[in-house]
Amino acid sequence: MRNAFLVAWRDFAESAKTKGFWIGLLLFPAMIFAFVQVPKYLEKKGTPQRYFILIDQSGAFEEIIEEGLERAHQRRVLRSLVDYGRENASMEKARQAGGKKIDLEDIPAPDVSGGAEQFLEEFAESNPDALEKFLKRGGREMMLQRMKPYLRDDAEEYKEPKRRYVRVAVPESVDPEAGTSVISEALKPFLRGTRKIRVDGEDRKLYAAVLIPKDIEGLVSRPGQPPVTLMTGRHGVEYWSANLADLDLHNDIRNEMNREIRRKAYLAAGMDVDAVRQVERTRIPFATLNPKKAKGKEKVSMADFLRQWAPSAFVYLLWISIFTISQMLLSNTIEEKSNRIIEVLLSSVTPGELMMGKLAGIAAIGLVMIGTWIGSLVAILAWKAGPEVEFAQHAFDVLKNSHLLPAFFVYFVLGYLLYAGVILTIGSLCNTLKDAQNYMGVVTVIMMVPMLTMFFIPKDPNGTLATTLSWIPIYTPFAMMNRMAADPPLFEVIGTTALLIVTTVAVLWLSGKIFRIGILRTGQPPKILELFRWALDAVRGRN
Amino acid sequence: MSEPALEIRNVDKLYGDFHAVKDVSLTIPAGSIHGFLGPNGAGKTTIIRMILEIIRPTRGEIAVLGEVSALKVRNRIGYLPEEKGLYKKMKAWSVIAYFATLKGMGRKAAKERAFELLEKYGLKDFANAKTDALSKGMGQKVQMLASIAHDPEFVILDEPFSGLDPVNQEVMEDIIRDMADRNRTVIFSTHVMQHAERICDRILLMAQGRKVFDGTIAEAKRTLPRRVRIETGDPVGQLEELDDVVDVAALNGDGGSGDEGRAARWELRIAEKADPQSILQECFERGIRLRSFELADPSLHEVFVHLVGSGVKEASFR
Repeated sequence: MRNAFLVAWRDFAESAKTKGFWIGLLLFPAMIFAFVQVPKYLEKKGTPQRYFILIDQSGAFEEIIEEGLERAHQRRVLRSLVDYGRENASMEKARQAGGKKIDLEDIPAPDVSGGAEQFLEEFAESNPDALEKFLKRGGREMMLQRMKPYLRDDAEEYKEPKRRYVRVAVPESVDPEAGTSVISEALKPFLRGTRKIRVDGEDRKLYAAVLIPKDIEGLVSRPGQPPVTLMTGRHGVEYWSANLADLDLHNDIRNEMNREIRRKAYLAAGMDVDAVRQVERTRIPFATLNPKKAKGKEKVSMADFLRQWAPSAFVYLLWISIFTISQMLLSNTIEEKSNRIIEVLLSSVTPGELMMGKLAGIAAIGLVMIGTWIGSLVAILAWKAGPEVEFAQHAFDVLKNSHLLPAFFVYFVLGYLLYAGVILTIGSLCNTLKDAQNYMGVVTVIMMVPMLTMFFIPKDPNGTLATTLSWIPIYTPFAMMNRMAADPPLFEVIGTTALLIVTTVAVLWLSGKIFRIGILRTGQPPKILELFRWALDAVRGRN
Repeated sequence: MSEPALEIRNVDKLYGDFHAVKDVSLTIPAGSIHGFLGPNGAGKTTIIRMILEIIRPTRGEIAVLGEVSALKVRNRIGYLPEEKGLYKKMKAWSVIAYFATLKGMGRKAAKERAFELLEKYGLKDFANAKTDALSKGMGQKVQMLASIAHDPEFVILDEPFSGLDPVNQEVMEDIIRDMADRNRTVIFSTHVMQHAERICDRILLMAQGRKVFDGTIAEAKRTLPRRVRIETGDPVGQLEELDDVVDVAALNGDGGSGDEGRAARWELRIAEKADPQSILQECFERGIRLRSFELADPSLHEVFVHLVGSGVKEASFR
């Protein structure tokens, strides 16, 4: 036992000194950090200003579009002000002012029933009032004024985000009165980037051109009539851009124009536009309720949302950690084998002790890694949450009070041991990493399955796919972890886990036998048949 | 220490159909230096691994330091395997200390011992170097030190000299002699006869899995006829007729047909019971003027070739 511990300690200490370990350790927090920080940074500094040309020959939309883009910009200002306030707020000042405690159980979940799209739309449409209020009451200055008492004393000054889309004048070489096909032809070199436009004395790339033909109102598609564009073969509004990925400008302009023609249609139909606006803002309250929760608290909350999705995150974490440390175990075993250190080791420790030591040492590495990951996740959440540190705290509480963490731990250990058994076998059979890669390829493909099914299982957590995978021991940890939110039947939890334990013990026992024979082998890895014979011998109790 | 350090009785080892070791028996008294000699593939390493219980014999029994299982006494055994290797990223001292702790030493004592050994054998400056920064010879010395850091009673060294320059080979010999002086038992395998000749008390000679010879070096040499080397300008043909002389062979190229003035060297193999003195006398009586006369022991190399036979040469390169 002492020897197993010594082996474990060495493997742990030496693995902890490798670059790979530190990269693995830091990469994940770095990714989360980047995930949180980069979009913000880009918004602040990195988002390029884009220059576009708008030619409205009809003259009916120019103003509307300008206003709409201004509103879009103000919306971003509002958002950045909110972020600014959150980042620079002082806890004490907020407390003194009677800030409310945050409880995730009370925060409504973003729409759980619909897909992500509906959720986003909801978000954008849910607070047109907020924007209007913001603008009406004096915009940014008012907001900064009101925020001031709650800000930290050392808060940096607020910087307004740059305007994303800047309208520029039509180049002189282009005649704005010409037909759209002529204009677009003339603008193509600019749009392709071969020619630059002058903006404030500097050469800039033209991002987009929006051409509105004179007779645009005649091209509008109306219900009950065949689409005019289809009949005439014309385009309507032409949005020209070499960038097809960022359609924000495209969408903003389209929405504004649609709003305008609808407004005109209401007028034409003799309706009161303001009344229509009011009507458009009516909405039905729609609550998502969970029958499993206590009476009076059935409303699906942020906490439920977390509980629902955390298992998927854990599956991912489980997969990455098992995969990463399996690789470590493999290279560690192969190093000892290819350097023939194994012989000296085996003159000092039994193969059983060696194997146990390796398993434990590398498992410790894995636990440190996961611990750091979860820790850094919580830390980053806490840091980013500003005065809402409690958010992270609560997120953690939610996790702590669910059975997710213990389940994660159990499935990590069992899953790791199961895969480690396989990996140790491979490691003991191969002399070089290159040999081992052949076997590892198969293992990797097998391990991909839980990754692929990860997103389907939560949708039907007790369905056929989920149940089937749960009963296959190599997938049990992932599948069961994935299903945790849906409270799988107790019988299945116990049954699959028992099967997993039995399989793990069997695999470890068998791999111990093969390890013993394989570890001293040199030359080519054995043939499958040979392996089979070893296994058979082991089962029969020889060796 | 009256009990033998090692006792091997009728041991066989089969790898599948391959008979690696055939019916070997051997007793090694405590406190001796024992050389395992034999061509490549003779079964030396297999025997060593069986002694250490890294692999188990197919048949037969092995007792190490009085125990049937080497695992029970593994802390009293030191082992340097044939193929040398170290953890590449570990420091020299920590490799030595690690293996010493695996042999039951305390962590602190092991560290002290590692530095002490590195200093004693001229590697003090490399104590904190990672082992992949060491030269091959240095690495091998570090590994050697790692295998004896816990001061084992019984040391098994598989090809300790291979890959070392002459100076380091001498250091290695010194290490082995040091241990023997302190009444440790040392087994080492080699195919370089000079080392064995210089430092072994006893040798085991193996070929194709069989024990060919086991005994002291003097005994080994006695398996070959003794010889007398003479240097003379006179013809020596008549010596061949003597009863005591088995045959006469020229040592340098053209031997007897050389010029009058130039001396030629001859080697006379003599019968087992013959007295070299009588050969000298015969030379006088026959008027052979000798420039030199020496009694030459056969070298271990010759014994090896004689006992193992030339057939092995082919077998080992197959």
